[in-house]
Amino acid sequence: MELSPQLATRFETLQNRYPVKRSALIPMLLYAQDEYGFISDEIIAEIARRLDLRTVQVEETLEYYSMLHRKPMGKHHVQICTNVACMLRGGTELLEQAKKRLEIGHKQTTTDGVFSLEEVECIGACTGAPAMQVNYDYFENLTPMKFDRIIEELDAGDHPAPEPVTAGALHPRDPAETPVISRRFGIKNSHKIDVYLQHDGYKALEKALKEMTPESIIDEVKKSSLRGRGGAGFPTGMKWSFVPKDTTKPKYVICNADESEPGTCKDRPLMEMDPHQMIEGITIAGRAIGAKTGFIYIRGEYRYVLDIVQGALDEAYSRNYLGKNILGSGFDFDLIVHTGAGAYECGEESALMESLEGKRGYPRIKPPFPAVVGLYGCPTIINNVETLSTVPAIILEGGEKYASRGTPKNGGTRLLCVAGHVNKPGIYEVPLGMNMKKFIYETAGGIPNGKKLKAVIPGGSSCPLLSASEIDLPMDYDSVAKAGSMLGSGGMVVMDEDTCMVDMARRIMHFYAHESCGWCIPCREGTTWLRKMLDRFHAGYGRPEDIDLVGDLAKNMLGRTFCPLGDAAALPTISIVQKWRNEFEQHLSGRCPYKSAEALVGSR
Amino acid sequence: MAETITEQKLISLKINDRDVQVPPGTLLIEATRRIGTEVPSFCYYPGLSLQAACRMCLVEIEKFPKLQTACTVVATEGMVVRTNTDQVRNARKYMLEFLLTNHPLDCPVCDKGGECELQDMVFRYGADTSRFVEEKIHRPEEKWSELVYYDAPRCILCFRCVRVCDEGMDVKALGVGMRGANSVIIPNREDHLECEECGMCIDICPVGALTSGTYRYKTRPWEMEYVPTTCAHCSNGCKVTLSVRNHEIMRANNRDLSGINKDFLCVKGRFGFDFTQHKERIRQPMVRKGDKLFPASWEEAAQTAATKLKEIHAKNGADSIGFIGSNRTSNEENYLFQRLARATFGTNNVDHHRTVDYTGLISALGEGAADSLLTMDQLYHSKAVLLVGNDPTNQNPLAAWQIRTGIRHFGAKLFILHEHEIKLHRQATVFANAGERQIPAALRYLAHEEGQLAPAVVEQLVQLKAGLEAESDVAIVFGAEVSGAAIAQLVAFGSKLPGKTRYMALGDYANSRGAADMGVLPDRLPGYAHLDSAANREAFDKVWGSVISAKPGMATPQIVEAAQAGKLKALYVMGANPFAHFGTPAQGRGKLEFLVVQEMFLTDTAKVADVVFPAASAYEKDGTVTNTSGEIQLLRKGAEVMGTRTDFDLLRILSHQLERVGLGKAFHYKTAAAVFEEIRKAVPGYNVETTPLLTGSAEPTHMHVARNGHAPYDVPAGLIRSAHDTLFTTGTLTRFCTMMESLQEDEAKS
Repeated sequence: MELSPQLATRFETLQNRYPVKRSALIPMLLYAQDEYGFISDEIIAEIARRLDLRTVQVEETLEYYSMLHRKPMGKHHVQICTNVACMLRGGTELLEQAKKRLEIGHKQTTTDGVFSLEEVECIGACTGAPAMQVNYDYFENLTPMKFDRIIEELDAGDHPAPEPVTAGALHPRDPAETPVISRRFGIKNSHKIDVYLQHDGYKALEKALKEMTPESIIDEVKKSSLRGRGGAGFPTGMKWSFVPKDTTKPKYVICNADESEPGTCKDRPLMEMDPHQMIEGITIAGRAIGAKTGFIYIRGEYRYVLDIVQGALDEAYSRNYLGKNILGSGFDFDLIVHTGAGAYECGEESALMESLEGKRGYPRIKPPFPAVVGLYGCPTIINNVETLSTVPAIILEGGEKYASRGTPKNGGTRLLCVAGHVNKPGIYEVPLGMNMKKFIYETAGGIPNGKKLKAVIPGGSSCPLLSASEIDLPMDYDSVAKAGSMLGSGGMVVMDEDTCMVDMARRIMHFYAHESCGWCIPCREGTTWLRKMLDRFHAGYGRPEDIDLVGDLAKNMLGRTFCPLGDAAALPTISIVQKWRNEFEQHLSGRCPYKSAEALVGSR
Repeated sequence: MAETITEQKLISLKINDRDVQVPPGTLLIEATRRIGTEVPSFCYYPGLSLQAACRMCLVEIEKFPKLQTACTVVATEGMVVRTNTDQVRNARKYMLEFLLTNHPLDCPVCDKGGECELQDMVFRYGADTSRFVEEKIHRPEEKWSELVYYDAPRCILCFRCVRVCDEGMDVKALGVGMRGANSVIIPNREDHLECEECGMCIDICPVGALTSGTYRYKTRPWEMEYVPTTCAHCSNGCKVTLSVRNHEIMRANNRDLSGINKDFLCVKGRFGFDFTQHKERIRQPMVRKGDKLFPASWEEAAQTAATKLKEIHAKNGADSIGFIGSNRTSNEENYLFQRLARATFGTNNVDHHRTVDYTGLISALGEGAADSLLTMDQLYHSKAVLLVGNDPTNQNPLAAWQIRTGIRHFGAKLFILHEHEIKLHRQATVFANAGERQIPAALRYLAHEEGQLAPAVVEQLVQLKAGLEAESDVAIVFGAEVSGAAIAQLVAFGSKLPGKTRYMALGDYANSRGAADMGVLPDRLPGYAHLDSAANREAFDKVWGSVISAKPGMATPQIVEAAQAGKLKALYVMGANPFAHFGTPAQGRGKLEFLVVQEMFLTDTAKVADVVFPAASAYEKDGTVTNTSGEIQLLRKGAEVMGTRTDFDLLRILSHQLERVGLGKAFHYKTAAAVFEEIRKAVPGYNVETTPLLTGSAEPTHMHVARNGHAPYDVPAGLIRSAHDTLFTTGTLTRFCTMMESLQEDEAKS
């Protein structure tokens, strides 16, 4: 088919960008969709031809990703998040308002083709909830009026300005904060290389290249006791030391920027306001393991972030912080920015690699682990944006100094996003081990309207929920684990006393059923069964035996699924049934006891 | 996967308190099967990549905190495994309960009912109640091609079909669409799957999600008998199990994974059986009266044939009669056919349509042939394969499957010397393009570094040679492009390669090899014994009570030309259609005086015959056939078609009639097995064990022939003719397969 010159050029670049051609598939599909509004049969055939694939191979990949559409969407594709953080602050009501206002339902398009509507999962704007995206533009802290105004402007052909920066990322520093990786937040043009260089930029890389050996870099990271900030908390230095030294294969570094754990939006401002810090960290990691190529896999929804990161990469290349013979050290390193297209599962490291290879985001059998067999079958380390962004500080100030900020085995600081029912939702960098109760009531400003706190998701919706009596504990990996939950991704969601926990369980299960990749039986069928049952239960059609059944099914998914997504769906569910069983029993009367209260939330 | 038993140290582990020893690298699921303990699974399939998706094979392993999938964990020394604890049973029960939430319980109308793996698993491991009260996901059934239908709700997403199509067939016509509980299998969107229509996806499906256009809604599995036999189509000799109801073939597959092909079958093997029921089957003898063929009684037809043949024999001599045999009749029938020509009529004018030069290969190898011929299993296990000519993907699908699977399982290397690009080049380490009709010249170069070749070709040949010289025990597979003296060059090259080089000639039809082995050749007796040796002739004369002529006969092209020119007076054809392929097809029988044909259909040759006998197909008879790699297998009677008789019967009947009119001796064999007993004794290389044959295995022949100063065998141009079959053709058989014809129409459309 005849492509526009821009798209043809884009395709050419993408086709030649990767070690394996097929890797270009998802970006090609996404950029084609940006131009044509959807993926047509002709585009499938054209891309298949260009990548030497059969059409079915293109289709199986594209059908996996929720951002890719086979039918035309509206000129303005309105995507409203109703996931937990947004739900607590009126996201569901906003969706209802949108349906009425646009006179269309979920995944429908107005007859004039101007608007289409979609209820979406967490878009990483939790601290600015409720939030939506129109095409790639973010609109946060929405109110019914603000929403109407945006729609009116769009309808009139205007271009309402999207949020300039992730809501909640900029705020007066709280006394409890110890800014390390967020220290450049708020500086004007902090994403530009010149500003970065004025603030210690690329000094760590220079030190790593000129004064350190790969081994001493890994040692320093080990000393820092840095643990993975993506959710699992695996010691970073140890992960790096698993990469075999005597291999003839190329090695890769991947930066996991597929931030999509509900309640989490800390990587987004890190890339938006300090992309060079991340680039510097990745390059140092590359040096440490002997990689010559790195990838930044950014979730598809963060398109504007991808553009910022691409700009930063171009700057870094032009100043020789990337490319051949970096700073005269003889070290070559290339960094490629890559986009996903809507799939929570691709945050799982091996699924991300499949996705980066242009395939469906199915997780891989482990062992072998990525450090030995990773991207393209080669040794690969994969770390979260925050983890890699921390590396320059560790190299610069030394691992021990960095570690001294936290508690033993839990070195350093963390970015915590706190959302839901708090007075000051936002992103705060605090030392590991800070007291959770203190954090919620002081740093985050406590619960609005004098309400009582009912429950807390400590680090993303995959974590078991804590009740009000369980939150007086230090926020480090081990203490939260001891309390029966996880520190997870740092996405904290706070619920007040008027929150319906059955509805919360229902909404959480909707997310996991939507995001289950479908690979293994217990997760694929279990999440869907639980979703349907919780829908029915919350709607007032529950049976007494359903309460035990919910818990029983969740417990029998736990530990038996292929990847942790099944556990992630089971754990919060089990904790809710256990801790708020009385609320399930109240629903047996045929109606939700919190219904009226919820309606009030919508008026906020 | 076949295992090779070597002197390696075994791993000891405990499974359910029993001590088990397995070779290193054995997966737990295989280790448990070794002691007869079933660990259930859907997605695990031997030979395909691991998935760990169905979670049915979860087992307890000491020191592991969670249950582990037995299909991905490799047995290690001292491992303690339990497969039947409460925890494990509970996990299986939940897995099946989850699976049934979206599976329609339409077993009473499902084709798979009665042989469904899900049904069996739920019966054995499932819960006795159902707790699911929500709405199931519905989707309409889809027709993907004439052969393949997909019912998404029944699909349990084990991904076997996707893997067998991609990994096994290298076709990639299937993929997985959508996500989560909405996941479905999706087909290639190009015309009708754009695939090889092998039906492996249907066969491998554990449930009724993929069903076959030829079988669906026709019968229940328990209403059928299952008859193991050998495929009637190409020369690879796949074992095929016919599902037969009321003497009619309903389906063909090989689900018990036995035989040389395990579960592999191509489109012809799996779907090409409906010729047996074709309305144009000849169901009664016919005799020509004037310019028309009329139905006749068996007596009339046999007497007419015998009387006229005797008359011509007496008047014009033995060599005025020619015999053209078949590529698809059994060994026993071929043996009797050439006996009829040689012993009863006294002529060596007997040949068949030769599609590859088996005689050339056996001759070139001489005494070495006995242990230098490659079996299908050896091809799979070969570390290096040289393919010269032929397109196995289309013409010899099992050979192609063996090559591909060997590459996948053992990292075998494939070297190709060809005239043009073929599909297997995707797997090739070195692909050398010799150019049109240049393969013999290229072989001469490889053997002796002689000859004038384009520098570009030489460069590729040097690379090919260097690659092969770095390997050992090379398997050489070749097609009709290599015949006569070129085979001698190939063998000369092969014999210089390190280790033991083995060879396989790729012919076209189900018993091409058997026809050659049984001496349906003008210059060779059964077992390729040289006709010019008195000792060879006397050996058979002793068995048959005959005097075999020492004069070599005419080959097929000469027989047909002579028949059309009237130089031959009578022609006897069994299961062949020579007037369509040799001589001048437009001339028909030309000036030929008398023509007898044993056939299933009124082919171009049968149409112009004087006497036509209705013959049974390979699926309607007992006997043996020999595949292109020289492996003997049994034919077993599955179907029965009223009014036909086996060629064995027809030859017997004729021999009795001939004896009555005073020509030769009647054949007194009561069964095909009696003929095979004689073959075992009389034909060198055929004295094989019969027990393996009876249990469905293949027995390799050890054919060899003494050189005795004979020059390298050469053949005139045009004698060896490949039919260049596609996946959808094997001459007469597929022309009368309704399903196969419809697929070809589809092909033509696309």
